[in-house]
Amino acid sequence: MTEPTRRSSALTSYLSHELRNALACIHQFGNILVDGLAGELSGEQREYIGIMLENASKIRSVLDGALDGASDPLEKCANKIERVSKLET
Amino acid sequence: MDKTKILVVDDNPTIRKGLSIRLQANGYEVLFAEDAISATAALVAERPDLVILDLGLPAGDGFVVMERLRKHDRLANIPVIVLTGREMAGNRERALQAGATAIFQKPVEDGTLLFAIRKALDVSRGELRFDE
Repeated sequence: MTEPTRRSSALTSYLSHELRNALACIHQFGNILVDGLAGELSGEQREYIGIMLENASKIRSVLDGALDGASDPLEKCANKIERVSKLET
Repeated sequence: MDKTKILVVDDNPTIRKGLSIRLQANGYEVLFAEDAISATAALVAERPDLVILDLGLPAGDGFVVMERLRKHDRLANIPVIVLTGREMAGNRERALQAGATAIFQKPVEDGTLLFAIRKALDVSRGELRFDE
């Protein structure tokens, strides 16, 4: 493995681990709130947490495929972001 | 009847807490370990019914924990569900070869994880094959 490839692979692993753990926390606790495990929510609170979870899912969508086994993580990530943006418009 | 014991092994305390709330809400007793050494100690001392295991751990990693588990007669059949932030390429095959029952990438849907837990427990109790 060449040095640039090794560094790219190490960066991918680092990003995958750090971002997925952070996302998992948002996802876990958002769903704990939505499911009422920490008490009942008002309709407005539920709506806002829903927005938060929906956006966490978008970030996950960018990560899935962009980082996993990526030969060029940055290029794949840029393509994925472009596809998600197109879906939104 | 004793509650089903699940050992959660993850070095991230927030992940441990989130899993604990979800698992306890579903009737499981939850034990914790934050590295490969304390995971091995908890396995021997508590003999949990199932392990949820992160791969990236201090003092070893998830593969080391599975290797120790599978070598131990009394513990070898405990189902292990790997829950990792690592990329799946390479790790999926390696984890399954090391004896993991299932592997999921974080974040995983709660329903998916709870279904896998129930199924792995049924299989380990001889009530079901995992492919059923």
